[in-house]
Amino acid sequence: MNAKTGPNDRICVGAIAGAFGVRGEVRLKSFCAEPAAIADYAPLTTEDGSRRFSVRLVRPVKSAFAARLGGVSTREEAEALKGTRLYAERSALPALPDDEFYHSDLIGLEVVDSGGERLGRVRAIHDHGAGDLLEVFGPGLRTTLLLPFTREVVPTVDLTAGRIIADPPEGLKPGEGEDDAPDGADGGARTPSRSKGR
Amino acid sequence: MARSVWKGPFVDSYVLKKAEKAKESGRNEVIKIWSRRSTILPQFVGLTFGVYNGKKHIPVSVSEDMIGQKFGEYSPTRTYYGHAADKKAKRK
Repeated sequence: MNAKTGPNDRICVGAIAGAFGVRGEVRLKSFCAEPAAIADYAPLTTEDGSRRFSVRLVRPVKSAFAARLGGVSTREEAEALKGTRLYAERSALPALPDDEFYHSDLIGLEVVDSGGERLGRVRAIHDHGAGDLLEVFGPGLRTTLLLPFTREVVPTVDLTAGRIIADPPEGLKPGEGEDDAPDGADGGARTPSRSKGR
Repeated sequence: MARSVWKGPFVDSYVLKKAEKAKESGRNEVIKIWSRRSTILPQFVGLTFGVYNGKKHIPVSVSEDMIGQKFGEYSPTRTYYGHAADKKAKRK
């Protein structure tokens, strides 16, 4: 599941996986692109905003950090926080240059095509190695629509209006351009298959 | 074991035909293919393929550094959403 922006523009940046050691340290899982950056966004708050913690990363441990949180001094206190999600203020994230956006800002935006027809909302952003893709899901779609995050396909991103204007190329929507699918949908082997037995 | 060099890169013939057709037309379209095993050739640079992952076609915009890889490498068959946190997306 994606980290949602909280009601006060807060972003989930990590979670406490449990206590670490007997001196009040916690096992802190970071969801940040650069895991150690979680400490830069301190103070972090709980989901309801009732508690605030300063964060000091002590050392990396397997797929997490051993960390010391402000106000947590015993193992019992650390254990009591197990499962707590930690949120940072959106304003704590550094400003980005043009044409760069935080995933959390894009998720949830409404997507309309150049004709004004509503396509849906951004559900997630993926990067499989060939550029970022916006995953859009709307009421009229059976499956999600994947839009390449390029200037040609997504000419306008209006964060203040909460809207993205997209110009999906032909064949992108599910069902389009599938009428010429090869037999068996794998094109048939070009290399001769080996005969079984001799 | 690596493929013998004398055979050349493997590409399903229908992928080549579709790519040629798309290049000739010059239209901005996604070329839907099912062949994850086909090698990405230099003539595919600049085209966008929709590579099937068993459920849907994932758009793959071919760039120069992808030459020699297989299409399937850019169309994962399992989805992981993870957390957005401070991750960034750059519009190209």
